[in-house]
Amino acid sequence: MPVTMLHHVMGVDGYYPTLIALWLLPLAGAIVNWAFGPQLKRTAGPLGSAAIGASFVATLLLWGAATQHSADGALGAHQALFNWIPGWDFGLLIDPLALLWALIITGVGFLIHVYSIGYMDGDNAFARFFAYMNFFVFAMLTLVLSDNFVGLLVGWGLVGLASYFLIGFWFFKPTAVAAARKAFVLNVVGDVGIMFAIFAIFTAVHSITFGDAFAFAGSYGTPLLFVICLCLFIGAAAKSAQIPLHTWLPDAMEGPTPVSALIHAATMVTAGVYLIARCAPLWSQNPDAQLLVGTIGGLTALIGAILGCAQWDIKRILAYSTMSQIGYMIMGVGVGAYEGGVAHFFTHAFFKAQLFLGSGIIIHALHDEQDVRRMGGLLKKLPFAAWAMGTGVLAIAGIPGFSGFFSKDQVIYGMLTHGPHSHPWLYVLGIVTAGITAYYMCRLFFVTFFGAYRGDVDPSSLGIRHPELAGTPPSDHEKEPEVEHSPNAQWFMIVPVAILIPFTVLIGWIMFGGENSPWAHFFEQQFPHPALNVPAISEGLTGLITFAVVLVGIGIAYMRYATASAQSNAVERLRSESIHMPAILTHAFGFDYALDWLFVKPAEFLGRFFGRWLDPHVLDGAVRETVISAQWLGALTRSFQTGLLRAYAFILVFGAACFIVYYALAAGGFH
Amino acid sequence: MNPMTVPVANYIALSAVIFFIGVAGVVVRRNPLIMLMSIELMFNAANLLFAAFARAWWHNAGHIFVFLVITVAAAEAAIGLAIVVTVFRSAKNVDVDDVALMKG
Amino acid sequence: MLALLIILVPIAVGLVMLAVKSENVTTSKATGAIVAAATFAGALLMQSGGAEISIRWLSRPFTSALHFGATGLSIWLVLLLSICTFSAILAVNVPRAGAFIGHLLILEGTMLGLFLAKDLLVFALFWDLMLLPVFFTLIGWGRHHATAWRYFIYNFAGGLTLLLATAAFGVLYGSTDVIGRSDVHVIGSWVPWIFAGFAFAFLVKTPVWPLHTWMPLTYADTPPPMVAVVSAVQSKAGLYGFIAIGLAFMPDYLRDAALLLIVLGAISLLYGAFTALVQTDAKRVVAYSSLSHLGLIVIAIASFNVIALQGALIYMIAHGLFSAALFLILGYVESREETRSLTRLGGLGAQNPRLAGALCIAALAALGLPGLAGFAGEIVILTGVFQAGWMWSVIVALVAIVLASAYMLRLYQGIMNGPQVADLPVRPDLSWLEGIAVAPLVAALLLVGVNPHALTTFAQGFIR
Repeated sequence: MPVTMLHHVMGVDGYYPTLIALWLLPLAGAIVNWAFGPQLKRTAGPLGSAAIGASFVATLLLWGAATQHSADGALGAHQALFNWIPGWDFGLLIDPLALLWALIITGVGFLIHVYSIGYMDGDNAFARFFAYMNFFVFAMLTLVLSDNFVGLLVGWGLVGLASYFLIGFWFFKPTAVAAARKAFVLNVVGDVGIMFAIFAIFTAVHSITFGDAFAFAGSYGTPLLFVICLCLFIGAAAKSAQIPLHTWLPDAMEGPTPVSALIHAATMVTAGVYLIARCAPLWSQNPDAQLLVGTIGGLTALIGAILGCAQWDIKRILAYSTMSQIGYMIMGVGVGAYEGGVAHFFTHAFFKAQLFLGSGIIIHALHDEQDVRRMGGLLKKLPFAAWAMGTGVLAIAGIPGFSGFFSKDQVIYGMLTHGPHSHPWLYVLGIVTAGITAYYMCRLFFVTFFGAYRGDVDPSSLGIRHPELAGTPPSDHEKEPEVEHSPNAQWFMIVPVAILIPFTVLIGWIMFGGENSPWAHFFEQQFPHPALNVPAISEGLTGLITFAVVLVGIGIAYMRYATASAQSNAVERLRSESIHMPAILTHAFGFDYALDWLFVKPAEFLGRFFGRWLDPHVLDGAVRETVISAQWLGALTRSFQTGLLRAYAFILVFGAACFIVYYALAAGGFH
Repeated sequence: MNPMTVPVANYIALSAVIFFIGVAGVVVRRNPLIMLMSIELMFNAANLLFAAFARAWWHNAGHIFVFLVITVAAAEAAIGLAIVVTVFRSAKNVDVDDVALMKG
Repeated sequence: MLALLIILVPIAVGLVMLAVKSENVTTSKATGAIVAAATFAGALLMQSGGAEISIRWLSRPFTSALHFGATGLSIWLVLLLSICTFSAILAVNVPRAGAFIGHLLILEGTMLGLFLAKDLLVFALFWDLMLLPVFFTLIGWGRHHATAWRYFIYNFAGGLTLLLATAAFGVLYGSTDVIGRSDVHVIGSWVPWIFAGFAFAFLVKTPVWPLHTWMPLTYADTPPPMVAVVSAVQSKAGLYGFIAIGLAFMPDYLRDAALLLIVLGAISLLYGAFTALVQTDAKRVVAYSSLSHLGLIVIAIASFNVIALQGALIYMIAHGLFSAALFLILGYVESREETRSLTRLGGLGAQNPRLAGALCIAALAALGLPGLAGFAGEIVILTGVFQAGWMWSVIVALVAIVLASAYMLRLYQGIMNGPQVADLPVRPDLSWLEGIAVAPLVAALLLVGVNPHALTTFAQGFIR
């Protein structure tokens, strides 16, 4: 190892106790909730929320430190921690990118914690839930605050663990158990991808810190850099549910709804976006990787949106929409439009959290009903939920003025401005997907809130063939007695959503104004700024085209689900749509089957072949054969030992005779 | 006839005959006493050769070996007879084919 | 003197306990735990050095001495051994506990002798001695005598080649009093055979494919406290030998065999992982996972890289800790439910949250969760192996890591999660004593995972 190598630290080195506090407070909350859960009882929720709230305050306090930049190019604040093994130094780094993620993790995380106090009220594992949630926030902060790849990987693995625990939170449900395992194993596929990239980087630069890895990015050589980017992207794809590693995300909806909002919408699944944005210096130097990642992102956006049209479970619709929206983000950061991709992460965190929390209110009010076919007419029953979902739908659909519009527009337009030849196909893909998104989100809204309530309609007349598989709970008399909710539980759920609504609606305006927007200023120092293409279509025109396509999507949804006639015979319409749904859509393009047949089944076959045949019969068999032949040899020699004196005498004489004959004949006689 | 004139080959031939009589006795007979006597015959065939060669080559080592063999033969006969008597006590008639305690 | 003492005291106390055959579980456990804790304290004292003892006992045909003392490598295994023995003794839940703990103590003493031996002949002596307590335990407490014999014959065959190789080494070099010295190198046309003799013994003991078939049977049939120590520490004897003998004295020949060892290690990695994926006996899942994990360490040693070697020790300690924890906890499960079949078990977590938590942590450490010791070992090893240029074996190892997460979660979820099984007996959760038994293992897993720095210093001496 070259000793003289200069170490490149990305932030301004110093001592930042606030940064350490921000990082460790959620861990403290997790440990207390985990260790003293039975004693804490109801106070576990406020305690866990307070830990995250304090962490959020600490994040705000660090705003100045995180955005500082020194003359020598250091951006943000760096806190050295410890030396893990010789040559591997751990530290914390907060720069604008990490600050943004930390704000969302702790800020939106705090709101979701508060919401959970109401949502999980009455669950007998209340403290365990908050222990896991706090632990998740700690892990996610580890991921975004690390100043090196190994620390990032530690966080990467730990968020996967938190996700595993929370998906399988109701561990007595076999479906939840299976979903949790699937999510974990697919995420480990991503982990090993990142590990491989780490090995390559360490071998090249003898360091694991971002600073060193990026400073020498030019020295890797194109093939190695492509391999590194590809391996990092395997990690990003697994965590951010990009095809073909996305199949765990819809299943992950088995977890409680706040979990879906925090982990599987707002924060953890966007870790892949963070990773690529963090490694912008690597991606920017490798157009092949950019094209690959952009294409996968675009395809994921499209496929997620198409599959979103075919779902009936309210949470699965939102899950596929999450996958699709992350596809946008990945597409953005993939092609180099980092500000755009990250902007979409930022707005998505608000509106998707709001959508999930709003759907949680519905699910709660309908006693765990998740199938939209059995909803309907909730506009009057749940007006607040309708407001929350409605603004969320407008934001995700990209109606101008709402937050989603600005960020999505940045991503779509970025397809034209970035890359050596721009990416017209991805541009078209982005616009088409925007239309489909508008369609299925409005479909969700209309079916849920318009028309008449269908919860008392027989499931089979709605085309629900397997109620237990479609998110429909067992009928009431089979259910356990309703848990007693404390009277103010629902306020814990309403207030956080109410706080999210203005952000969902308005936050996009900080991105308005192109290069002079506050958003662009915030990231001025963060990302590489290559020369941009000047496309024939202006950004304003792109916005108009997108808006037109979105309007078409909304119009189709309106025609199908919201006209007076569609509302009046909704039962029949939904039944016919359920029955005539193409199989390819209900099977989600067969990704699950493909993974099963390509990997799971062959692995199990090999295991059985090794364990039941090769091991006992061939390997152990070879040793057993040795033992048996030794026994046989023993039996042969034993047979001469008759115990009969005269036989021994005869053998002796015979042997002597043989000697004599040998010397007399073969050896040429006695001399 | 002067004993010196008897050629050594005659002693060897006589010794071989006596030895093979002994061998045949051991292999063929089943009475342990006869077998012990046959073993004595083989010893004495060897003794005869020792004596004959000692005489022929004027070397006393042969005579010394004869004495050694006689003592060993006496000891062997004593132990052999003791075993035969012990076996005879436990079984009515003595037949070596009935005694196979050393079977592996 | 201290070195000799911490070897002899466990053996002596163990023999006394075998003679007394006390049925009093509390007294036996207390005695055993005190002895194990005392060896741990002794090992800590030895870490500062200066506790060596050497008594010459052979001068022809080569010099040899009863020479005991710790090296920077062996001290960690000694610490691991005393922690695991302590935990195993507290976790004993078999009939005739007094005699069983006696066997455990003898096992500890003989293995301490193995790791502290600084003379090859003494090493070979203890190599065979440490088989005896396991053999007698299998005879006394196992279900099939055949397993005991299989264990003994496989490992004793290794012991024989080890003894032959040791003798040849002594004749060639003139002395066997060499372990821990860095100036000893043997060369000559005989040395490949000597190396092969050592390597065969080490490969059987570790075990490495295809010499592993004694292992799943032994691990399944041995009572959990004993198998915890065997899989945690006895399996490290071979790996320790590869480093302390192979790498130290015959590096050139180890390098010649590197490709073979790495191929065998890689096969073990995948073979163990795939097989563990479908086993229905919980202990066999862990047994095959051990085959997989130990294969990785063989690769690390054979790759001749400082970082990989540092990782090898971290992972040896990590594997010792989590496999001991896994076997002890599976023992708790088996003693409660009277079965360890994954097709029968299920849903225990609802009634036994502490038991579930303990198994969860052990399984997570085994599947390489970041923050726990297993991850530290894996990533450091693989970084080194990659640096050494064995890229294909890195890819194989990464596949095995994915498989590890699948089979370990299958194990954990199969026992603890899902709906409760109606016909399984409902038993109380983890008791205090059972908890204390696994607590040191879990604490050490966390400690090594967060800060493995101390385990890395030994490696510079071996690779130049």
